[in-house]
Amino acid sequence: MKHTSRKWALRIVVLGYLGLLVGLPVGFLFVHAFNHGLSAFWHEVTQPNAVAALKLSAEVALIAVPVNTVVGILAALILARQKFFGSRALILAFDIPVAVSPIIIGVALVLAYSRIGWFGQWLGDYGIRILFTPVGIVMATMAVSLPYVLRSVLPVLVEIGEDQDQAARTLGAGSFRIFWQVTLPAIRWGVLYGVTLTIARTLGEFGAVLVVSGDITGKTQTLPIYIFAVWDQNFDSVGAFAGAFVLASISIVALIILSSLRARERKLHVDLA
Amino acid sequence: MSISLSHLTKRYASVPVVDDVTVEIPEGSLTAILGPSGSGKSTLLKLIAGLETPDAGRVVIEGDDVTDVDPRFRDIGFCFQHYAPFRHMNVAKNIGFGLRVRKLPREVIDAKVSELVELVKLDNKASSYPSQLSGGERQRMALARALAIEPRVLLLDEPFGALDAIVRTELRHWVKELHHQIKVTTILVTHDQDEAMEVADQLLIMHLGTIEQAGSPSELYDAPATEFVHAFLGPTTYFKGVAVRPHDLEIVGPTTGSLEGAVTSIIELGFEVQVTVTLSDGSTPWAQMSRNEFRALNVVVGSPISVRERVPQ
Repeated sequence: MKHTSRKWALRIVVLGYLGLLVGLPVGFLFVHAFNHGLSAFWHEVTQPNAVAALKLSAEVALIAVPVNTVVGILAALILARQKFFGSRALILAFDIPVAVSPIIIGVALVLAYSRIGWFGQWLGDYGIRILFTPVGIVMATMAVSLPYVLRSVLPVLVEIGEDQDQAARTLGAGSFRIFWQVTLPAIRWGVLYGVTLTIARTLGEFGAVLVVSGDITGKTQTLPIYIFAVWDQNFDSVGAFAGAFVLASISIVALIILSSLRARERKLHVDLA
Repeated sequence: MSISLSHLTKRYASVPVVDDVTVEIPEGSLTAILGPSGSGKSTLLKLIAGLETPDAGRVVIEGDDVTDVDPRFRDIGFCFQHYAPFRHMNVAKNIGFGLRVRKLPREVIDAKVSELVELVKLDNKASSYPSQLSGGERQRMALARALAIEPRVLLLDEPFGALDAIVRTELRHWVKELHHQIKVTTILVTHDQDEAMEVADQLLIMHLGTIEQAGSPSELYDAPATEFVHAFLGPTTYFKGVAVRPHDLEIVGPTTGSLEGAVTSIIELGFEVQVTVTLSDGSTPWAQMSRNEFRALNVVVGSPISVRERVPQ
């Protein structure tokens, strides 16, 4: 009996903690988004600046996610299969952008690519502008979402080893076929896991993007920055809550996909054991 | 000669793992590379397959020098120690992989795959995934996958190492039978001398990266060239300072004029009895005999005896 009551007490503590930190705020957010009715919500999310922000966020994700996926898989293949001097330093370099505050990434990008630094000056002489343009936003986003694919693929690659690839090679397969038909299917859950994390981070990034974007309404505002800008003007704005609802929904859907992938992955490992 | 290796050398960080190996492997033979772990036997197998690059020496298969040929063009069937199944493909797809690489027509692939699943007795498992197979079944699938491409040489790396004792014995017989049926030149790597003696018609004994001796199992057992081969291939004891087989020692009564001494221990293992003696020269050889011989000898610990070598008949 005592055991059961302790179990319940524990559950209530955890649930209460979660409720205070996540449930209540997100619940309020969702309620406030529809406080003035569905049409008010719709009116706000179809505002030209809101649509522009959503579009920019989607475009940034469409570039940053595939590029970081390809780079992450390539880096994981190199790090898992080749021992070389500095390989640990390389992993560390991939981790730096998520280990430090995003604002530091933003400031560092400004230093490197604005007219403050020689590189930015040199680029400027050729008429290439990175800061306050979508290019800068994509770069900042790619930087802060850099290691997720590498980090989720590398342990899988190390675990499966090189035997399957070598077997395929002795059976006559070339590198291209081995990658698509043997390696990639073997690491596919790791890749999907990493891609989901990358999408979530890419859409949600605020700090680094804010610094490099210049916050130009309708031009360089991504969805999180648009939400902040609207909210900053009017504390009780349906526009901010509506935008936040859209962004939160995308992330929650990504999370649900992620957790179902994890469940499948776990099932797969049980099968293999 | 089907495979000929000359002066093959592989070093890891300047330490030779395979050290100047020169050997000929006869066409159609079933050869076992036998050696303790770390002797370089698996590396030698990977050098033949091209999965490792030699630092020196040549690999010649059926007259073609393949030393610089990519493993994908060597026509070699390689079975990995842990079978390396493609986990996301079912048994039929695994077996057909090499045939699909060769872009054969679908009917040809299907026919060949169904012939092979029958050969390896997996016809009722063709649509199962590797995770649903037992160790022995995975091993047979890996064999079928390697055989599908009709390789010039079949290479098996510790083929029975990861299996339990009963399955291992079964599979040994089966591999021997299979080799009899298809007669492809086969090399298997093992550290188990019973396994090697039972399955193979040729043995290569490897030690510290070199081949100590090559020959048929009985040649090597009866006339080991080195003490290492002697000790590795079977029970070994020392009589008058020379390595001998314990069943070649005969214990007789104390009056025969041979080296004299006394029985120090008796171990009865059912049919076999091991008698250890201490001789006047201080040596302590042991003799292996049948239970009947032991009874006829009628000794206990402490009995005075003498020892001589049996004369081969």
